[in-house]
Amino acid sequence: MATSLQPAHPVLPAPSRLTTHLLTSANANANASTVASHPPHLHHLARQIQHNLQHQHAWTALRLHTHVSGTDKPLPRPMLSGLAPVRLYVHPDEQVELLREAGKKRDEGVGGGNEEGVGEGKLDVVVEPEREWVLPTRLSEKWSLRRLAEVFDCVGVVPPGVEDEEGEGSQNMWRKRKRVVLATVDGDSTVVYYIVHDGVVKPRQN
Amino acid sequence: MGNSTLLTSAGTLPQTLTPFPISRIATRYLLFDVHAVTYARREHNICGVLIGTIPHLSQQNVFLGIPLELMPEEARLLVEHGHAYIIDEVEAHKTGLLDMSRKDQLAFLQAMDKQGMEIAAESKKKAEERSQKALQGRGMARRARENTASRVSETADSSAKQRLADGDDECSVFEAEPRSPSPAPSHPPLAVERHFITPTISYPPLQTPNTTPTLSLPEVSKTYPLFAFLHSKGYFITPGLRFGCHYTVYPGDPLRFHSHFLATGADWDEEIDLLDIVGGGRLGTGVKKSYLIGGADTRRENASGAGSNAGDGVRAFSIEWAGL
Repeated sequence: MATSLQPAHPVLPAPSRLTTHLLTSANANANASTVASHPPHLHHLARQIQHNLQHQHAWTALRLHTHVSGTDKPLPRPMLSGLAPVRLYVHPDEQVELLREAGKKRDEGVGGGNEEGVGEGKLDVVVEPEREWVLPTRLSEKWSLRRLAEVFDCVGVVPPGVEDEEGEGSQNMWRKRKRVVLATVDGDSTVVYYIVHDGVVKPRQN
Repeated sequence: MGNSTLLTSAGTLPQTLTPFPISRIATRYLLFDVHAVTYARREHNICGVLIGTIPHLSQQNVFLGIPLELMPEEARLLVEHGHAYIIDEVEAHKTGLLDMSRKDQLAFLQAMDKQGMEIAAESKKKAEERSQKALQGRGMARRARENTASRVSETADSSAKQRLADGDDECSVFEAEPRSPSPAPSHPPLAVERHFITPTISYPPLQTPNTTPTLSLPEVSKTYPLFAFLHSKGYFITPGLRFGCHYTVYPGDPLRFHSHFLATGADWDEEIDLLDIVGGGRLGTGVKKSYLIGGADTRRENASGAGSNAGDGVRAFSIEWAGL
Protein backbone atom coordinates (compact mmCIF):
# COMPACT_ATOMS: atom_id res chain seq x y z
CA MET A 1 0.00 0.00 0.00
CA ALA A 2 1.29 3.41 -0.88
CA THR A 3 2.25 5.45 2.12
CA SER A 4 1.04 8.68 0.55
CA LEU A 5 -2.53 7.54 0.91
CA GLN A 6 -2.28 7.45 4.67
CA PRO A 7 -3.45 10.51 6.56
CA ALA A 8 -0.82 12.72 8.08
CA HIS A 9 -1.98 11.95 11.57
CA PRO A 10 -3.00 8.29 11.60
CA VAL A 11 -5.83 7.48 13.92
CA LEU A 12 -5.03 4.50 16.10
CA PRO A 13 -7.61 1.74 16.00
CA ALA A 14 -9.54 1.06 19.14
CA PRO A 15 -7.63 -1.22 21.51
CA SER A 16 -8.47 -4.91 21.24
CA ARG A 17 -10.30 -6.78 23.93
CA LEU A 18 -7.03 -8.30 25.06
CA THR A 19 -5.28 -4.96 25.22
CA THR A 20 -8.15 -3.53 27.18
CA HIS A 21 -8.01 -6.49 29.49
CA LEU A 22 -4.29 -6.06 30.03
CA LEU A 23 -4.54 -2.32 30.57
CA THR A 24 -7.45 -2.45 32.96
CA SER A 25 -5.95 -5.27 34.97
CA ALA A 26 -2.69 -3.39 35.15
CA ASN A 27 -4.49 -0.30 36.38
CA ALA A 28 -6.46 -2.31 38.86
CA ASN A 29 -3.27 -3.62 40.34
CA ALA A 30 -1.40 -0.36 40.09
CA ASN A 31 -1.60 0.49 43.72
CA ALA A 32 -1.49 -3.08 44.96
CA SER A 33 1.71 -4.39 46.40
CA THR A 34 1.67 -7.28 43.93
CA VAL A 35 2.97 -5.24 41.04
CA ALA A 36 6.17 -4.38 42.78
CA SER A 37 7.14 -8.02 43.12
CA HIS A 38 7.44 -8.74 39.41
CA PRO A 39 8.21 -6.76 36.27
CA PRO A 40 5.14 -5.65 34.30
CA HIS A 41 5.80 -7.87 31.29
CA LEU A 42 5.38 -10.95 33.44
CA HIS A 43 2.13 -9.57 34.77
CA HIS A 44 0.96 -8.94 31.23
CA LEU A 45 1.95 -12.47 30.28
CA ALA A 46 -0.09 -13.93 33.12
CA ARG A 47 -3.06 -11.73 32.21
CA GLN A 48 -2.83 -12.79 28.60
CA ILE A 49 -2.91 -16.46 29.56
CA GLN A 50 -5.76 -15.75 31.93
CA HIS A 51 -7.68 -14.10 29.12
CA ASN A 52 -7.09 -17.10 26.87
CA LEU A 53 -8.16 -19.58 29.52
CA GLN A 54 -11.25 -17.63 30.42
CA HIS A 55 -12.55 -16.91 26.96
CA GLN A 56 -11.22 -19.72 24.80
CA HIS A 57 -11.30 -22.61 27.24
CA ALA A 58 -14.13 -21.51 29.54
CA TRP A 59 -12.09 -21.75 32.70
CA THR A 60 -13.61 -20.30 35.83
CA ALA A 61 -12.43 -19.13 39.22
CA LEU A 62 -9.21 -17.88 37.72
CA ARG A 63 -6.87 -16.27 40.21
CA LEU A 64 -3.54 -14.56 39.84
CA HIS A 65 -0.91 -15.56 42.36
CA THR A 66 2.15 -13.48 42.98
CA HIS A 67 3.30 -14.85 46.30
CA VAL A 68 3.69 -18.25 47.84
CA SER A 69 0.41 -18.80 49.60
CA GLY A 70 0.42 -17.76 53.21
CA THR A 71 3.80 -16.04 53.00
CA ASP A 72 5.22 -12.82 51.60
CA LYS A 73 7.76 -14.71 49.51
CA PRO A 74 7.23 -13.86 45.84
CA LEU A 75 6.75 -16.63 43.31
CA PRO A 76 9.40 -16.83 40.54
CA ARG A 77 6.78 -15.16 38.36
CA PRO A 78 3.06 -14.47 38.60
CA MET A 79 1.11 -17.69 38.23
CA LEU A 80 -2.53 -18.53 37.75
CA SER A 81 -4.89 -21.03 39.22
CA GLY A 82 -8.26 -21.93 37.89
CA LEU A 83 -10.97 -24.45 37.36
CA ALA A 84 -11.31 -26.12 33.96
CA PRO A 85 -14.87 -26.89 32.80
CA VAL A 86 -13.98 -30.59 32.67
CA ARG A 87 -11.28 -32.44 34.51
CA LEU A 88 -7.96 -31.71 32.84
CA TYR A 89 -5.95 -34.63 34.15
CA VAL A 90 -6.95 -38.09 35.31
CA HIS A 91 -4.17 -40.26 36.66
CA PRO A 92 -4.16 -43.70 34.97
CA ASP A 93 -4.68 -45.45 38.31
CA GLU A 94 -7.61 -43.19 39.11
CA GLN A 95 -9.00 -43.88 35.66
CA VAL A 96 -8.97 -47.60 36.33
CA GLU A 97 -10.80 -47.01 39.61
CA LEU A 98 -13.36 -44.69 38.00
CA LEU A 99 -14.09 -47.16 35.23
CA ARG A 100 -14.51 -49.95 37.74
CA GLU A 101 -16.99 -47.90 39.74
CA ALA A 102 -18.86 -46.84 36.64
CA GLY A 103 -19.06 -50.45 35.53
CA LYS A 104 -20.39 -51.48 38.89
CA LYS A 105 -23.02 -48.76 38.76
CA ARG A 106 -24.10 -49.76 35.29
CA ASP A 107 -24.44 -53.39 36.30
CA GLU A 108 -26.54 -52.43 39.29
CA GLY A 109 -28.73 -50.29 37.06
CA VAL A 110 -28.48 -47.33 39.39
CA GLY A 111 -29.69 -44.17 37.72
CA GLY A 112 -30.46 -46.05 34.52
CA GLY A 113 -34.15 -45.09 34.92
CA ASN A 114 -35.39 -43.16 31.94
CA GLU A 115 -32.34 -43.77 29.77
CA GLU A 116 -32.62 -47.51 30.01
CA GLY A 117 -33.24 -47.97 26.34
CA VAL A 118 -30.80 -45.37 25.08
CA GLY A 119 -27.82 -45.72 27.35
CA GLU A 120 -27.80 -49.49 27.56
CA GLY A 121 -24.30 -50.63 28.41
CA LYS A 122 -22.93 -47.13 28.45
CA LEU A 123 -20.42 -46.24 31.11
CA ASP A 124 -21.18 -43.08 33.00
CA VAL A 125 -17.88 -41.89 34.41
CA VAL A 126 -18.21 -39.02 36.82
CA VAL A 127 -15.14 -36.85 37.30
CA GLU A 128 -15.21 -33.62 39.20
CA PRO A 129 -13.09 -30.82 37.75
CA GLU A 130 -10.11 -29.78 39.82
CA ARG A 131 -8.26 -26.55 40.33
CA GLU A 132 -4.98 -26.41 38.44
CA TRP A 133 -1.82 -24.39 38.68
CA VAL A 134 -0.90 -22.58 35.48
CA LEU A 135 2.61 -21.39 34.70
CA PRO A 136 2.62 -18.71 31.98
CA THR A 137 5.66 -18.73 29.69
CA ARG A 138 6.72 -17.28 26.36
CA LEU A 139 8.08 -19.51 23.65
CA SER A 140 11.12 -17.29 23.26
CA GLU A 141 12.20 -17.96 26.83
CA LYS A 142 14.87 -20.40 27.88
CA TRP A 143 14.15 -22.50 30.91
CA SER A 144 16.28 -24.82 32.97
CA LEU A 145 15.73 -27.65 35.40
CA ARG A 146 16.65 -25.31 38.22
CA ARG A 147 13.98 -22.78 37.32
CA LEU A 148 11.35 -25.48 36.88
CA ALA A 149 12.30 -26.90 40.27
CA GLU A 150 12.03 -23.45 41.83
CA VAL A 151 8.51 -23.10 40.51
CA PHE A 152 7.53 -26.49 41.88
CA ASP A 153 9.11 -25.74 45.23
CA CYS A 154 6.85 -22.72 45.55
CA VAL A 155 3.51 -24.34 44.76
CA GLY A 156 1.43 -26.83 46.65
CA VAL A 157 -0.19 -29.96 45.32
CA VAL A 158 -3.53 -28.20 45.03
CA PRO A 159 -3.80 -24.44 44.43
CA PRO A 160 -5.30 -22.47 47.29
CA GLY A 161 -8.95 -22.07 46.43
CA VAL A 162 -11.23 -19.13 46.83
CA GLU A 163 -12.16 -18.91 50.48
CA ASP A 164 -15.58 -20.55 50.16
CA GLU A 165 -14.09 -23.47 48.24
CA GLU A 166 -11.35 -24.08 50.76
CA GLY A 167 -10.89 -27.69 51.70
CA GLU A 168 -12.28 -29.26 48.57
CA GLY A 169 -8.83 -29.85 47.16
CA SER A 170 -7.74 -32.58 49.51
CA GLN A 171 -10.60 -34.83 48.55
CA ASN A 172 -8.97 -36.54 45.60
CA MET A 173 -6.74 -39.23 47.04
CA TRP A 174 -5.13 -39.82 43.64
CA ARG A 175 -3.65 -36.36 43.51
CA LYS A 176 -0.35 -36.87 45.26
CA ARG A 177 2.20 -35.28 42.98
CA LYS A 178 2.55 -31.62 42.26
CA ARG A 179 1.48 -30.69 38.80
CA VAL A 180 1.50 -27.47 36.87
CA VAL A 181 -0.05 -26.64 33.53
CA LEU A 182 2.69 -25.10 31.43
CA ALA A 183 1.11 -22.45 29.23
CA THR A 184 3.37 -21.34 26.41
CA VAL A 185 2.41 -18.43 24.21
CA ASP A 186 3.99 -17.64 20.88
CA GLY A 187 4.26 -14.24 19.23
CA ASP A 188 1.05 -14.84 17.29
CA SER A 189 -0.72 -15.35 20.64
CA THR A 190 -1.20 -19.06 20.08
CA VAL A 191 -1.18 -20.71 23.48
CA VAL A 192 -0.33 -24.36 24.05
CA TYR A 193 -0.85 -26.18 27.33
CA TYR A 194 1.22 -29.01 28.70
CA ILE A 195 0.90 -30.79 32.00
CA VAL A 196 4.18 -30.98 33.89
CA HIS A 197 4.43 -33.34 36.83
CA ASP A 198 7.02 -33.12 39.53
CA GLY A 199 8.77 -36.50 39.39
CA VAL A 200 8.32 -39.68 37.39
CA VAL A 201 4.63 -40.07 36.67
CA LYS A 202 3.46 -42.71 34.25
CA PRO A 203 1.59 -41.59 31.14
CA ARG A 204 -2.14 -41.53 30.73
CA GLN A 205 -3.95 -44.29 28.90
CA ASN A 206 -5.68 -42.29 26.26
CA MET B 1 31.84 -77.85 26.61
CA GLY B 2 32.82 -79.57 29.76
CA ASN B 3 34.31 -76.45 31.23
CA SER B 4 33.58 -74.98 34.59
CA THR B 5 32.37 -71.78 33.01
CA LEU B 6 29.51 -73.51 31.29
CA LEU B 7 26.30 -73.04 33.05
CA THR B 8 23.58 -75.36 33.99
CA SER B 9 20.81 -73.08 32.82
CA ALA B 10 20.79 -69.87 30.88
CA GLY B 11 20.76 -66.73 32.92
CA THR B 12 22.49 -67.97 36.01
CA LEU B 13 26.13 -67.23 36.35
CA PRO B 14 28.23 -69.41 38.58
CA GLN B 15 29.68 -67.68 41.56
CA THR B 16 33.05 -67.55 39.87
CA LEU B 17 31.68 -65.38 37.09
CA THR B 18 30.15 -62.62 39.15
CA PRO B 19 31.32 -59.97 38.65
CA PHE B 20 31.51 -60.69 34.97
CA PRO B 21 33.91 -59.05 32.54
CA ILE B 22 32.88 -56.37 30.07
CA SER B 23 35.20 -56.20 27.09
CA ARG B 24 36.28 -52.78 26.04
CA ILE B 25 37.27 -52.66 22.41
CA ALA B 26 37.99 -49.25 20.93
CA THR B 27 35.71 -47.32 23.31
CA ARG B 28 32.86 -49.78 22.88
CA TYR B 29 31.67 -51.97 25.71
CA LEU B 30 30.75 -55.48 24.66
CA LEU B 31 29.53 -58.70 26.19
CA PHE B 32 30.47 -61.86 24.35
CA ASP B 33 29.12 -64.45 26.74
CA VAL B 34 25.46 -65.18 26.17
CA HIS B 35 25.09 -66.11 29.80
CA ALA B 36 26.39 -62.76 30.93
CA VAL B 37 23.97 -61.15 28.47
CA THR B 38 20.92 -62.93 29.85
CA TYR B 39 22.15 -62.50 33.39
CA ALA B 40 22.59 -58.76 33.05
CA ARG B 41 19.16 -58.44 31.51
CA ARG B 42 17.36 -60.57 34.00
CA GLU B 43 19.09 -59.59 37.20
CA HIS B 44 20.20 -56.05 36.56
CA ASN B 45 17.68 -54.69 34.02
CA ILE B 46 20.47 -54.02 31.55
CA CYS B 47 19.40 -54.69 27.98
CA GLY B 48 22.13 -53.36 25.74
CA VAL B 49 21.88 -53.84 22.02
CA LEU B 50 22.74 -57.02 20.16
CA ILE B 51 25.01 -56.14 17.28
CA GLY B 52 26.37 -59.45 16.00
CA THR B 53 25.56 -60.61 12.49
CA ILE B 54 26.51 -63.81 10.72
CA PRO B 55 29.93 -63.22 9.16
CA HIS B 56 28.91 -64.59 5.78
CA LEU B 57 25.51 -62.93 5.78
CA SER B 58 26.18 -59.53 7.14
CA GLN B 59 23.14 -58.11 5.37
CA GLN B 60 21.04 -60.30 7.61
CA ASN B 61 20.41 -57.70 10.26
CA VAL B 62 16.88 -58.47 11.37
CA PHE B 63 17.89 -60.94 14.03
CA LEU B 64 21.16 -60.00 15.58
CA GLY B 65 23.16 -62.03 18.02
CA ILE B 66 26.12 -61.63 20.32
CA PRO B 67 28.10 -59.55 21.02
CA LEU B 68 25.91 -57.27 23.02
CA GLU B 69 26.97 -53.66 22.98
CA LEU B 70 26.36 -51.74 26.16
CA MET B 71 25.87 -48.03 26.35
CA PRO B 72 28.71 -46.44 28.34
CA GLU B 73 26.08 -45.62 30.94
CA GLU B 74 25.13 -49.27 31.27
CA ALA B 75 28.74 -50.39 31.53
CA ARG B 76 29.49 -47.75 34.12
CA LEU B 77 26.45 -48.56 36.18
CA LEU B 78 27.32 -52.27 36.25
CA VAL B 79 30.87 -51.46 37.29
CA GLU B 80 29.84 -48.92 39.92
CA HIS B 81 27.50 -51.42 41.51
CA GLY B 82 30.18 -54.13 41.49
CA HIS B 83 28.34 -56.45 39.11
CA ALA B 84 30.97 -56.28 36.40
CA TYR B 85 34.38 -54.97 35.58
CA ILE B 86 36.03 -53.65 32.47
CA ILE B 87 38.87 -55.41 30.71
CA ASP B 88 40.87 -54.03 27.85
CA GLU B 89 40.22 -56.82 25.41
CA VAL B 90 43.20 -56.25 23.12
CA GLU B 91 45.61 -56.16 26.00
CA ALA B 92 44.04 -59.16 27.67
CA HIS B 93 44.31 -61.24 24.52
CA LYS B 94 47.91 -60.28 23.91
CA THR B 95 49.11 -61.05 27.37
CA GLY B 96 46.81 -63.99 27.83
CA LEU B 97 47.86 -65.79 24.68
CA LEU B 98 51.54 -65.06 25.06
CA ASP B 99 51.62 -66.11 28.66
CA MET B 100 49.75 -69.33 28.03
CA SER B 101 51.86 -72.40 28.73
CA ARG B 102 52.37 -75.08 26.08
CA LYS B 103 50.61 -77.55 28.30
CA ASP B 104 47.51 -75.37 28.54
CA GLN B 105 47.48 -74.84 24.80
CA LEU B 106 47.62 -78.56 24.12
CA ALA B 107 44.98 -79.26 26.68
CA PHE B 108 42.71 -76.70 25.08
CA LEU B 109 43.28 -78.10 21.59
CA GLN B 110 42.52 -81.58 22.84
CA ALA B 111 39.40 -80.38 24.54
CA MET B 112 38.30 -78.78 21.28
CA ASP B 113 39.03 -82.02 19.40
CA LYS B 114 37.06 -84.03 21.89
CA GLN B 115 34.18 -81.64 21.65
CA GLY B 116 34.34 -81.82 17.87
CA MET B 117 34.15 -85.60 17.96
CA GLU B 118 31.19 -85.48 20.30
CA ILE B 119 29.33 -83.09 18.08
CA ALA B 120 30.12 -85.12 15.00
CA ALA B 121 28.90 -88.31 16.63
CA GLU B 122 25.79 -86.56 17.78
CA SER B 123 24.96 -85.16 14.38
CA LYS B 124 25.60 -88.50 12.73
CA LYS B 125 23.27 -90.20 15.16
CA LYS B 126 20.63 -87.62 14.43
CA ALA B 127 21.06 -88.07 10.69
CA GLU B 128 20.64 -91.81 11.02
CA GLU B 129 17.55 -91.43 13.13
CA ARG B 130 16.15 -89.04 10.56
CA SER B 131 16.75 -91.36 7.65
CA GLN B 132 15.30 -94.27 9.55
CA LYS B 133 12.22 -92.30 10.34
CA ALA B 134 11.84 -91.28 6.74
CA LEU B 135 12.17 -94.87 5.61
CA GLN B 136 9.60 -95.92 8.17
CA GLY B 137 7.28 -93.28 6.87
CA ARG B 138 7.48 -94.84 3.44
CA GLY B 139 6.89 -98.30 4.76
CA MET B 140 10.44 -99.32 4.14
CA ALA B 141 11.22 -99.90 7.75
CA ARG B 142 11.96 -103.54 7.14
CA ARG B 143 14.78 -102.75 4.84
CA ALA B 144 16.08 -100.10 7.16
CA ARG B 145 15.99 -102.53 10.01
CA GLU B 146 17.75 -105.12 7.99
CA ASN B 147 20.39 -102.67 7.05
CA THR B 148 21.09 -101.74 10.61
CA ALA B 149 20.69 -105.29 11.78
CA SER B 150 23.21 -106.57 9.29
CA ARG B 151 25.59 -103.89 10.35
CA VAL B 152 25.48 -104.82 13.99
CA SER B 153 24.99 -108.54 13.44
CA GLU B 154 28.49 -109.36 14.56
CA THR B 155 28.14 -107.66 17.89
CA ALA B 156 24.42 -107.91 18.61
CA ASP B 157 23.25 -110.93 20.52
CA SER B 158 20.47 -113.22 19.45
CA SER B 159 17.86 -111.73 21.76
CA ALA B 160 18.18 -108.40 20.07
CA LYS B 161 17.69 -110.10 16.74
CA GLN B 162 14.63 -111.84 18.10
CA ARG B 163 13.15 -108.53 19.18
CA LEU B 164 13.83 -107.01 15.81
CA ALA B 165 12.10 -109.92 14.16
CA ASP B 166 9.10 -109.55 16.48
CA GLY B 167 8.91 -105.92 15.63
CA ASP B 168 8.73 -106.69 11.94
CA ASP B 169 5.70 -108.88 12.38
CA GLU B 170 3.60 -105.99 13.55
CA CYS B 171 2.50 -103.08 11.51
CA SER B 172 5.61 -101.02 11.74
CA VAL B 173 4.28 -98.00 9.89
CA PHE B 174 2.65 -96.51 12.95
CA GLU B 175 5.22 -97.62 15.39
CA ALA B 176 5.98 -94.68 17.60
CA GLU B 177 9.53 -95.60 18.36
CA PRO B 178 11.75 -98.57 17.84
CA ARG B 179 11.41 -100.93 20.70
CA SER B 180 14.92 -102.07 20.42
CA PRO B 181 17.50 -99.54 21.32
CA SER B 182 18.83 -98.01 18.18
CA PRO B 183 22.08 -99.74 17.47
CA ALA B 184 23.88 -96.64 16.28
CA PRO B 185 24.72 -94.97 19.60
CA SER B 186 26.02 -98.12 21.21
CA HIS B 187 28.13 -98.58 18.16
CA PRO B 188 31.40 -96.73 18.41
CA PRO B 189 31.52 -94.13 15.63
CA LEU B 190 33.98 -95.62 13.27
CA ALA B 191 34.45 -93.24 10.40
CA VAL B 192 33.00 -90.10 11.89
CA GLU B 193 34.65 -87.01 10.60
CA ARG B 194 35.51 -84.63 13.36
CA HIS B 195 33.82 -81.25 13.41
CA PHE B 196 36.11 -78.30 13.79
CA ILE B 197 35.05 -76.02 16.58
CA THR B 198 35.34 -72.28 16.40
CA PRO B 199 34.87 -71.09 19.95
CA THR B 200 32.74 -68.00 20.27
CA ILE B 201 34.27 -66.84 23.52
CA SER B 202 37.87 -66.49 24.58
CA TYR B 203 37.51 -67.35 28.23
CA PRO B 204 38.61 -70.17 28.30
CA PRO B 205 41.22 -70.79 26.94
CA LEU B 206 42.24 -67.43 28.28
CA GLN B 207 42.25 -67.04 31.99
CA THR B 208 39.70 -64.54 33.14
CA PRO B 209 41.79 -61.55 34.11
CA ASN B 210 41.86 -60.53 37.70
CA THR B 211 39.14 -58.23 38.83
CA THR B 212 41.28 -55.39 40.08
CA PRO B 213 39.83 -52.22 38.63
CA THR B 214 42.83 -51.28 36.58
CA LEU B 215 40.76 -49.47 34.00
CA SER B 216 39.01 -46.29 34.89
CA LEU B 217 35.24 -46.11 34.85
CA PRO B 218 33.62 -45.72 31.44
CA GLU B 219 33.25 -42.13 30.43
CA VAL B 220 29.63 -41.12 30.28
CA SER B 221 27.70 -38.12 29.11
CA LYS B 222 26.00 -35.60 31.34
CA THR B 223 22.78 -37.59 31.11
CA TYR B 224 24.22 -40.35 33.30
CA PRO B 225 22.60 -39.15 36.56
CA LEU B 226 19.18 -39.41 34.95
CA PHE B 227 20.04 -42.87 33.65
CA ALA B 228 21.18 -44.05 37.07
CA PHE B 229 18.13 -42.49 38.69
CA LEU B 230 15.68 -44.24 36.39
CA HIS B 231 17.57 -47.52 36.66
CA SER B 232 17.47 -47.32 40.45
CA LYS B 233 13.70 -47.11 40.20
CA GLY B 234 13.62 -50.42 38.35
CA TYR B 235 13.08 -49.13 34.86
CA PHE B 236 14.62 -50.72 31.77
CA ILE B 237 16.39 -48.21 29.61
CA THR B 238 17.23 -48.44 25.94
CA PRO B 239 18.70 -45.85 23.58
CA GLY B 240 16.20 -43.21 22.58
CA LEU B 241 17.22 -42.17 19.10
CA ARG B 242 14.07 -43.46 17.44
CA PHE B 243 12.01 -41.07 19.56
CA GLY B 244 14.43 -38.20 19.42
CA CYS B 245 15.46 -38.39 23.05
CA HIS B 246 18.30 -39.79 25.09
CA TYR B 247 16.59 -42.83 26.55
CA THR B 248 13.43 -44.79 26.04
CA VAL B 249 12.27 -45.94 29.45
CA TYR B 250 10.30 -49.14 29.99
CA PRO B 251 8.50 -50.15 33.19
CA GLY B 252 9.59 -53.77 32.65
CA ASP B 253 11.41 -55.86 30.12
CA PRO B 254 11.04 -54.20 26.70
CA LEU B 255 9.90 -57.54 25.29
CA ARG B 256 6.85 -57.42 27.53
CA PHE B 257 6.04 -53.74 27.97
CA HIS B 258 5.56 -50.61 25.98
CA SER B 259 7.76 -47.77 27.09
CA HIS B 260 6.43 -45.13 29.44
CA PHE B 261 8.87 -42.29 29.00
CA LEU B 262 10.98 -40.53 26.46
CA ALA B 263 13.74 -39.24 28.68
CA THR B 264 16.13 -36.42 28.02
CA GLY B 265 18.86 -35.51 30.44
CA ALA B 266 20.18 -32.05 31.11
CA ASP B 267 22.46 -30.27 33.49
CA TRP B 268 20.87 -28.42 36.33
CA ASP B 269 21.46 -25.01 34.81
CA GLU B 270 21.47 -26.03 31.19
CA GLU B 271 19.20 -23.85 29.09
CA ILE B 272 16.23 -25.73 27.72
CA ASP B 273 14.34 -24.34 24.77
CA LEU B 274 10.63 -24.33 25.48
CA LEU B 275 10.09 -25.51 21.94
CA ASP B 276 11.93 -28.71 22.87
CA ILE B 277 9.63 -29.28 25.82
CA VAL B 278 6.57 -28.63 23.69
CA GLY B 279 7.87 -30.85 20.88
CA GLY B 280 8.85 -33.65 23.23
CA GLY B 281 5.56 -33.47 25.09
CA ARG B 282 3.60 -33.52 21.90
CA LEU B 283 5.54 -36.40 20.40
CA GLY B 284 5.38 -38.39 23.62
CA THR B 285 1.64 -37.96 24.02
CA GLY B 286 1.16 -38.96 20.38
CA VAL B 287 2.74 -42.33 21.12
CA LYS B 288 1.11 -42.73 24.55
CA LYS B 289 4.20 -41.85 26.49
CA SER B 290 5.38 -39.06 28.73
CA TYR B 291 8.26 -36.82 27.88
CA LEU B 292 10.62 -36.76 30.82
CA ILE B 293 13.38 -34.28 31.47
CA GLY B 294 15.69 -34.58 34.41
CA GLY B 295 19.12 -34.03 35.80
CA ALA B 296 21.19 -33.95 38.94
CA ASP B 297 20.18 -31.25 41.36
CA THR B 298 23.46 -29.58 42.19
CA ARG B 299 22.03 -28.01 45.33
CA ARG B 300 21.25 -31.40 46.83
CA GLU B 301 24.46 -32.97 45.56
CA ASN B 302 26.52 -30.46 47.46
CA ALA B 303 24.47 -30.98 50.57
CA SER B 304 24.64 -34.78 50.61
CA GLY B 305 28.35 -35.09 49.90
CA ALA B 306 30.37 -36.85 47.24
CA GLY B 307 30.00 -40.43 48.43
CA SER B 308 26.48 -40.87 47.12
CA ASN B 309 25.20 -42.77 44.13
CA ALA B 310 24.93 -41.12 40.75
CA GLY B 311 21.16 -41.52 40.80
CA ASP B 312 20.73 -39.59 44.05
CA GLY B 313 19.53 -36.04 44.00
CA VAL B 314 18.06 -36.26 40.54
CA ARG B 315 14.99 -34.20 39.83
CA ALA B 316 12.78 -35.19 36.94
CA PHE B 317 9.66 -33.75 35.37
CA SER B 318 7.09 -35.66 33.31
CA ILE B 319 5.42 -33.72 30.54
CA GLU B 320 2.21 -34.57 28.71
CA TRP B 321 -0.03 -32.64 26.39
CA ALA B 322 -2.86 -31.10 28.37
CA GLY B 323 -5.46 -31.61 25.66
CA LEU B 324 -6.58 -27.99 25.60
